[in-house]
Amino acid sequence: MDIFASLMQGFVTVLTPFNLWMATIGCFFGTIVGILPGLGPGATIAILLPLTFGMNATPAMIMMTSIYYGAKYGGSTTSILVNVPGEGASVVTCFDGYAMARQGRGGVALGISAIGSFVAGILGTIGLIFVCVPLAAFSLKFGPAEYFSLIVMGMLTIVFVGGKSVVKSLMSAVVGLALGTVGSDVVQGARRFVYDIPQLMDGVSFVTVVMGVFGIGEVLVSAEERMKMKTVDVKFKNLWPSMRDILDSKWAILRGTVVGFLVGALPGAGSTIASFISYGIEKGAAKDPERFGKGAIEGVAGPESANNSACSGAMVPLLALGIPGSGATAVMLGALMLYGLRPGPMLFTTSPDFVWALIASMFIGNIILLIMNLPMVPLFAMSLRLPYRYLYPAILLICIVGAFSLNGSVYDVWVMWIFGIVGYFMKKYDIPGGPLVIALVLGPMLEYNLYRALALSLGSVWTFFTRPISATLLAMAGIMIIAVSFKAIRSKRSMPEEEDE
Amino acid sequence: MKKGDRVLSIICMGLSLWLIIESLQFDYLSEFGPGPGFEPFWLGILLAILSIALFIDTVRRRSDKEGAKSCLPGWKALGRVGLIMLIMAGFALSLNTLGFFVTVFLFVSLILFTLEEVGILKSMFYGIMFSASVFLIFSYGMEINFPKGFFGI
Repeated sequence: MDIFASLMQGFVTVLTPFNLWMATIGCFFGTIVGILPGLGPGATIAILLPLTFGMNATPAMIMMTSIYYGAKYGGSTTSILVNVPGEGASVVTCFDGYAMARQGRGGVALGISAIGSFVAGILGTIGLIFVCVPLAAFSLKFGPAEYFSLIVMGMLTIVFVGGKSVVKSLMSAVVGLALGTVGSDVVQGARRFVYDIPQLMDGVSFVTVVMGVFGIGEVLVSAEERMKMKTVDVKFKNLWPSMRDILDSKWAILRGTVVGFLVGALPGAGSTIASFISYGIEKGAAKDPERFGKGAIEGVAGPESANNSACSGAMVPLLALGIPGSGATAVMLGALMLYGLRPGPMLFTTSPDFVWALIASMFIGNIILLIMNLPMVPLFAMSLRLPYRYLYPAILLICIVGAFSLNGSVYDVWVMWIFGIVGYFMKKYDIPGGPLVIALVLGPMLEYNLYRALALSLGSVWTFFTRPISATLLAMAGIMIIAVSFKAIRSKRSMPEEEDE
Repeated sequence: MKKGDRVLSIICMGLSLWLIIESLQFDYLSEFGPGPGFEPFWLGILLAILSIALFIDTVRRRSDKEGAKSCLPGWKALGRVGLIMLIMAGFALSLNTLGFFVTVFLFVSLILFTLEEVGILKSMFYGIMFSASVFLIFSYGMEINFPKGFFGI
C-alpha cells in the first residue's frame, strides 16, 4: 500500500465542506467538553452518536475523533485559569499552569499548551500512520484464538493500569462482561437475562451505559454541592508565548509527544497516565526541579503534549487491532460497529477511504484546534463564568435527548437513568468506569472468538497455547498477573511497617 | 471507605450468586465449546471470588483513621442527588403523556426552583428558554421526532 497516496486520497475526502464542518463542530464541542468539568469526551461521543445515525460513517467518525482530542486542548483551560481539571488528562497541568496564571503568565501557559498540543497532535498522527499500517498488516495473521488472547491481554492491561484498586477494576470489568451476556448468545441464540423484555433481546446498549455512567454519574457528583468557580483573567494580547518560552519548552514538547504516543498505545494507559509520566520526566530532566509546582513552563508543555499524542497512540490498537485502549475509544469502537465497520486489519482493506479520511482529519482537526484555542480561548474561558446551576440541567437534558433519540423510546432513558445511579455510586466507591464500558464492548467479541477458536480446533483448548501469537499474548497476560500479584503482596507486607512509623 | 467496601462486597456477592443461579438454566457446553451458560457461570464465580477478596481486605485492614471521610457525602448532598434523579424519573414517566417540550420546561423549572433556589418566575423563564432551545436545535435543526403528548406540542 502506498501510504503517501492513500493519505493524499484521505485529504481529498476530508477537504469537502461537510466533512470540514463536522471536524469543526467536533473540535468545538470537544474543546467545550474539555473546558467544562462534569462531562468527558467518552460520554459526549455517546450522546452525539445517535444524532449522527442519518449520516455516512466518515463525517460522523471525523466529528467523534475531533471531540476526543479536542477535549485534551480544552481541558488545560480550566486547569490553568481555575485550578480545576476540566478533563482527567489535565490534572497535572493544574500544578504549574495555575501557578503561572497567578504570576500573570496565564496567557503564556494557555498559548504554550495549545502549541504543544498541536505539535504533539501532528507528530502523533504521523506516528499513528507508521505504526498502524504495519501492525494492521501483521494482525492479518490473527485468527479467533489470537483475537481471544489479545482481548484477554488488553482487558487485563486496562484493569491493572486503569484504577487505584485492582480488585475494584476487575469487578468493574466482570460486571461489564456480564452485561455483555445479556441478549441472544452467539452459540445457540439462547435468550440470556432477557426476562421477556423485548428491548433486551439485542443486549444492553453501550451508548446508554456510557451516558449513564460517565454522563449522568459525573454530573450527579458535581451537583452534590453548589459549584462555584473563580477564574483568573487572561488578556488576549498576552496569549502568545515569547521565543524564549518556546525555546524553553521545545524539549518538553518533544519528550511529551514520544511518551504520550507510546503510553497512549497501551490499552488502559491513556492520556491521564501519559501526562503524569511526562511531568515526572520533565521534573527529573530539569536542572532545577524545585521550579516545578511553582510555574515551570515545562510542567505545562510536556504533559499537555503527552495527553494529545496519547490520543493518536490510542487510535493505533483501535484501528489496527480493533481493541480500544480507553473508555472514549471503546465508545468509538462501538460506534464503528453500529455503522457496520469492524475495526482491525480488515478495515484497512475493506474501507481504506474511511481509514485514511479519518487519519487525514486528525491533521486538519489539530490545525482547527490551534486556530480555535489561541485567539478564541478568552471566549471559551467565558463559559467558565456560566453558573454551574444552569449548566448541569443542560447536560442532563442533552443526555436525555441523546438516549431518547437512539430508538425514539423512553426505555433507553430509563436504562441511562439506572446506569446514572450506578455511575454515581461507582464514583463514590472509587470503582473505575472504564473497565466496565470496555468489557461491555469487548465481552461479546471475547465469547464469539472463544467459541470460534474452539469450533475450529474441534474443542481443543490447546489451540490457544500451540499457536505462537496466541501463546505469546497469553504468556504476557500471565506475566502481568504474576507481576501485579507480587507487587500487591509486597505492598501488603510493607504496610504494617509504614503504619508503625 | 472500609464500611463502603464491605457493603460493596456484599452487593457484588449477591450479584454473583444471581449470575450463577441464572446461568444454570442454560447449557454449559455446546458441541465444540462453551454453551450459553458457560460465560455467565464463570463470571459469577469470578465476581464471588473478588467479592470475598474485597471483604477479607476490609476485615484485615486496620480501622479507618479518625476523621477519615465516608465515601458517601452528607445527607444534604445525597438529598440533592436523590431529588435530581427523582425529577429525571418524573421526566421519563411523563414524557409520552405531557409531550417532550412541556416535560423539558417542567424538568428545568423544577431543578432550578427546588434545588438551586432560583425564583419561580426566573425558573419558568429558563424552562421556556431550554425548551425552545431543544426544539430549535434537535427537533427543527436535526429533525428528531419527539413525543407530542396531551398538549400537542
